[in-house]
Order: sequence, then C-alpha cells, then structure tokens
Amino acid sequence: MQIPLTELKNGEKGIIVSTVFKSPDAPMCQHRARKGWKKKASIELCIKRLTDLGLTPGTEVTVVKSAPFKGPLEIYVRGSRLAIGRGMASRILMEVKR
Amino acid sequence: MKEKNFTIALAGNANVGKSVIFNQLTGLHQHIGNWPGKTVEKAEGTLNYKGYTIDFVDLPGIYSLSTYSIEELVSREYIATEKPDLVINVVDASLLERNLFFTLQLLELEAPLLIALNQIDLAKKKGILIDTNKAEKVLGVPVVPTVAVTGKGISDMLDIAIAVIEKNCKTHPLKPKYGKEIEEKINQLVELLKSTDLKYPPRWIAIKLLDEDKEIEKLVHEQNSQITKIAEKLRGDLEKCHGHSCPTVITSERYQVASIIANEIQQITEPVKTPLREKLHTATTHRVFGYPIMLGTILAVFVAIFSFGDFTSALVGDFLMGLQPTVESVLGTGIVTELLWGGIMEGIIGGITVALPYILPFYFILYLFEDSGYLSRIAFLMDRLMHRMGLHGKAFIPVMLSFGCNVPGCLGCRIMETSRERLLTAFVVTLIPCAATSVIILGLVGAHVGIEWALALYIINLILVFVLGRIAFKALPGEPTELIMEMSDYRIPHMKTVTKQTWFRLREFIVMAFPLIIAGSFVIKLAEVANLLEPIANIASPITVAWLGLPAVTGIALIFGVLRKELTLIMLATLLGTTNFATVMTPTQMIVFTLVVMLYIPCVATIGALVKEFGWKKATTITVIEIALALVLGGIAFRLLTII
Repeated sequence: MQIPLTELKNGEKGIIVSTVFKSPDAPMCQHRARKGWKKKASIELCIKRLTDLGLTPGTEVTVVKSAPFKGPLEIYVRGSRLAIGRGMASRILMEVKR
Repeated sequence: MKEKNFTIALAGNANVGKSVIFNQLTGLHQHIGNWPGKTVEKAEGTLNYKGYTIDFVDLPGIYSLSTYSIEELVSREYIATEKPDLVINVVDASLLERNLFFTLQLLELEAPLLIALNQIDLAKKKGILIDTNKAEKVLGVPVVPTVAVTGKGISDMLDIAIAVIEKNCKTHPLKPKYGKEIEEKINQLVELLKSTDLKYPPRWIAIKLLDEDKEIEKLVHEQNSQITKIAEKLRGDLEKCHGHSCPTVITSERYQVASIIANEIQQITEPVKTPLREKLHTATTHRVFGYPIMLGTILAVFVAIFSFGDFTSALVGDFLMGLQPTVESVLGTGIVTELLWGGIMEGIIGGITVALPYILPFYFILYLFEDSGYLSRIAFLMDRLMHRMGLHGKAFIPVMLSFGCNVPGCLGCRIMETSRERLLTAFVVTLIPCAATSVIILGLVGAHVGIEWALALYIINLILVFVLGRIAFKALPGEPTELIMEMSDYRIPHMKTVTKQTWFRLREFIVMAFPLIIAGSFVIKLAEVANLLEPIANIASPITVAWLGLPAVTGIALIFGVLRKELTLIMLATLLGTTNFATVMTPTQMIVFTLVVMLYIPCVATIGALVKEFGWKKATTITVIEIALALVLGGIAFRLLTII
C-alpha cells in the first residue's frame, strides 16, 4: 500500500518509494500547498535537502510521533532522529505493509 | 623552517563535537570572524605543537557539500580553493551512516583526509562497536578514535595528522564507486572536462554535473557550454533508466555506499534498557507535557536572568556612578568634564550595566541549552505556531532571545537557512519587547495605570508581531521553507565550549554595540550642552503634542530612547522632575507613550546589528517602517482612549 509519510501512524514503519513530485498538482502535494511551492527550483532544493539527510528512495523510515496541531513529525531514519515539517512529509510517498 | 607551518580544516556534520575538538586544540588562541562577504561564522585558531605551528579552521557543521545553504558552499569552496594541508573529518561514531555520507563527499573532493571517530564512548554505550582497523582499510585514510569532551585521542590524532601531512604515513583514499551506468557517464564527462581548467577535481565536477549542481554548471558552462549540454542529455538517460531524478539517484547511491561501509565496520547490539536521555527526549517533546515543561524552563530562565541582572546591574551601576565625584575633583566641573562624563562615561556605564548583567547570562544559558540539545526540541514544539508567521520552528530561538535583548535576537537570525527567512525573522525580532522595554511597560503603565493595562500592551504587541509578521511574509518575495532538522541525542554540555562561545558572542556584542551607544550618547550630550534639545522637542511637538497628545518634553525622552529604551523613563523622570508619573501625566498619556516607546525605533545597538547582518538599506527600511507604525498606532490609541 502506498501512502504519504504523514498518513503513517505513530510507531509505524515504511519504505520510501519516491521523493520526486512530478507534478506539483498531484494529490499528495495539495496538503498546505502554496503558490510558491509550484516553482521548480524550490521543489528541487527541498528534495535535495531531504535526500542529503538520508531520505532517499528505498530507505526505511519510522514515524515516532507528531507535534500537536498538525505540527512537524518526528521520524527515525538511518539511526538518527529528524524533525520534518508536515508539508514536506506529505510529499514523500511510502510503501507500508499493513 | 617554513615547512613547519600547517593549515588544518575541521569538517563534519552538525553536533558531532567538532567545536569541542576545535576548542581542545586551540584553547584561547582563537579568532572568530566571518567568511569574506558572508554571514557565516569562521572560527580560526592556532596551536603550537612539538615545534609545529598549526592553523586550524573550523568549517560550519553541514550534512552535504551541495548548494542547499551558504554554509555548504563556503565549506566546499574553502577545501577546493584554499587547499588546507589536511582536512580532519570529525565523525559521530554513533551515527556512522549519515556521517560517512559526508566523508564520501570529502573523498570525492579529493581532500587530504584524516577521520576522527568522535564520541566513541557514547557509541559503545549505545551498543555500537567499531572496528577502526577495518575502517582504515576500507576508507584508505587514517581513522583515530577520540572522545573530544575528555580530550582522549586528541594528541594521537595530532601526531597522525602531522605524519600524514609530512607524507610519513601512506594513504590510499577510497574513490567511492557508483553503479555501472553512472560510472560510465562520469568517465565520459571526465574525458570532456580535460579541455577545461577549473579549481575542482574533474571527477568531482563530473559527479556534480550529474547532481544538477547549479554553481558548478555555471562554472563549466562559462568554459565550454558543450559539456553542460551533454551532461543534461546524460542526466536524461539516467532518469529514464532509474525512474528518479538524477540528483536523487546520485544521492541514493552515495548513501548506499555509506551504508555498506558502515555495516562492514560496525557491530550493533541493542541496548538493554532505555537510557535517561531517551526518557528526557520523550518527556520534553511530549504533545501535552512538552509545553508546560518548555514554558516552565523559559520562565525560570527569565526570572533567574532578571533577578541576577537587576542585582548586578544596580551594583555595577552604583559603583561606576560613584566615580563621578572623583572625576569631577580631578577635571573640575567645566563643560569638558560634562561632555566627557555625561557623554562618554555614561554611555560606557550604560553599555556595561546592560552587557554584563543581562546579556552575559543570557548567552550562557542559550549556549547551555543549545549544546545540550534542548533548543531543537523547542523548535520542534513551536514549529506550528511560528508557521503562522511564515517562519518555521527554528525562528522561535531568536524571538525568544529578543525578549532579553533585540541585539542577540538579530544576530541569532543566522540560524535560519535562507536570506529571506533571516530578514523576516529579524523584522519580527525587532518588534519584540526587550528587557528595557519591559522595564518601561511595567514601570510606567504597570505601576501607575494598572497591571492589566501593562498586560494588555504585551498582548497588543504580540498580536502586532503576528499580524506584521504575516504581512511581511506575504510581501517578501520567495518561498517559505519548511522545518527539517536533526534532533541529536541529549548530552551534558561541554562547559569549556559553552563558556567560550558565550565569551565570543559577548565580545561581538561589545565591539558592535558599545561604540554606537557611546557615540550616540556623546551626540545627545552635545545637543544638550548646546541647548538644542528643547528646540528639537518643539519641532517634534506637532507629532508628540497634537497627534499623540503627549507633553512636549516627551520629545526629548524619545530622542534619548534611541540610545537605550529604558533611558526614556529615566529622562522622563528628570524632565518632569518626579518619578510619580501619575501626578504629571494622564493614564492615557502614559499608555500612549509606552506604546510608542515599545514600537517606535529599534535602539541604536539593534540598528547596528541589523546593518551588520543585512546592510544599510534593509536596516533603514525596517527602522522607518517601525517609526511610522508607532506614530500611526500611537495616534489611534490616543483617540480611542480619549473616547473611553
């Protein structure tokens, strides 16, 4: 089953399928989408940052918890703990076994 | 012997103990400045060791050598163009995979490398055992286990570093290999790059071209536009066969190499029980308990700083002011003495009574928090709220600082990634009521009108911060970036490093703010001696009296407030001849006056900080906006309050 990272429950694990947002209008990008996000450069920079921090396709990610009021997610990846904004997280597609 | 002079750069991820190692190596012989033309901190230090003079450069803590941030650009440019004799890559032994990802990039950049495997003790506690010999074999460069906080392994590291530089120790640095298709394309580009002349190694350039690195693309394009065209075609080929964008493919493969090496050299056993730092993390980031813990901590810090500050400030102030009769008995009581004392000396006293008692503990606690890892948890909790202003969680830190003093707040904006966010945060920061403003709010309105009105002013201020932050966020061109940061494990702060950071920051504040405060206070004293203050106040009276409904003398008080905001209250008392303001001003006047003081202009030291970080143009814009805002709102408040 493929779902955005934000849909994972606390404590749930998944494998990243894709961090490439081919079209900014894809359903998973609409979460808190802004006009600015549609600009290609900013998306590229965003992907670069994600992948540089180890969120590459095929990587296992565990969602630890999320901050209240739809705040950022705490995730566990490659042995370290990251805080990641929800908008960015919603653009990461995960393969989850349920 | 000239050969005995070396330059060594320290590079590595954030929070790996790089600055602790730097401090252990260089002690007090440090120089903290900026990289030329950049607002990125550059720390340099010198060590004399066994007859060698070694200059150390502490590069910023980064995760990659791409172009995400200025820090990354500065680091790779330094390594490639300045060519230090050696790069010591500080690696967190407990986070091998992520750290090796960076190491691989240093290897690609063909930097002469030594790896300091730091926090090896902590890794052991976490159940991670590392085979250093194997690591050396795989990576082909020396690997030295260290424990920076205790200094263990540091002298070994230095001996090996010198041996490497003097070529007494053979190294065969690993050339990270990618998949077959990528290697083919890299080699193809390397062939083509032979015709160009660039300061970076050809293989690295080839990889960066496939990585869609804009800076490198530009450099290559200037020399041979044919190559960038071919690179684009090759990227397209790779994208087709991998199904991901080319930069993602490169990064993935590099991480894969890092992962394979990490698994080869480390053995992981799960720890039996949850360590205290994990429990602490869970509690401080808890969706319910995290907030009361945070509020409690921040309040405790403020109470501690203000009670310490009040006490020491009075003590230091009284002592220095006590020198006045002595000075007067030596120099007489002429106009020169008045200028010297009232202009220069009182400026110095003003600076000292703020810097030492308030700023010093503020910085100290801030760095204590930062080093322990708590600041990143606060950013995590506050991210949502800060997003309302178009900023992310990290911006809460400069905002929090600003409640103490706007100057460190402005300087603290550096932690934001893009220049847009820095400017936006700085604008918000200058609107926050600092300690001096709080003195006025509480001392004038709180004491003479009522504490509920003082509270109302705070709330109005915070609402303004949100509204204006939001407007600025919409008005400034560019996109918002979202929070993404590592929350490294909690650890006991390293006191020596914290103390040093505090000292360098304090020195920065003194160097920047003191001349401005002193010069400003001299100019105002000069105006006072020349009897210019009253005419100026009269010129301003259409604004102060007619528009704001204040007594004419407030004009003079407001001029003094540009130096330091608490001076408005002191001057008001002097000019009105009483500290019982209720007898000379109406409640409305007091509220309007405080509102104006709160907003009207950042103090001269804050303007100085703005100029330093953003240049004259932006600093002036912020200042003008705030003056206009204060006057408009003050006038409206006056009319509203009169109706009530």
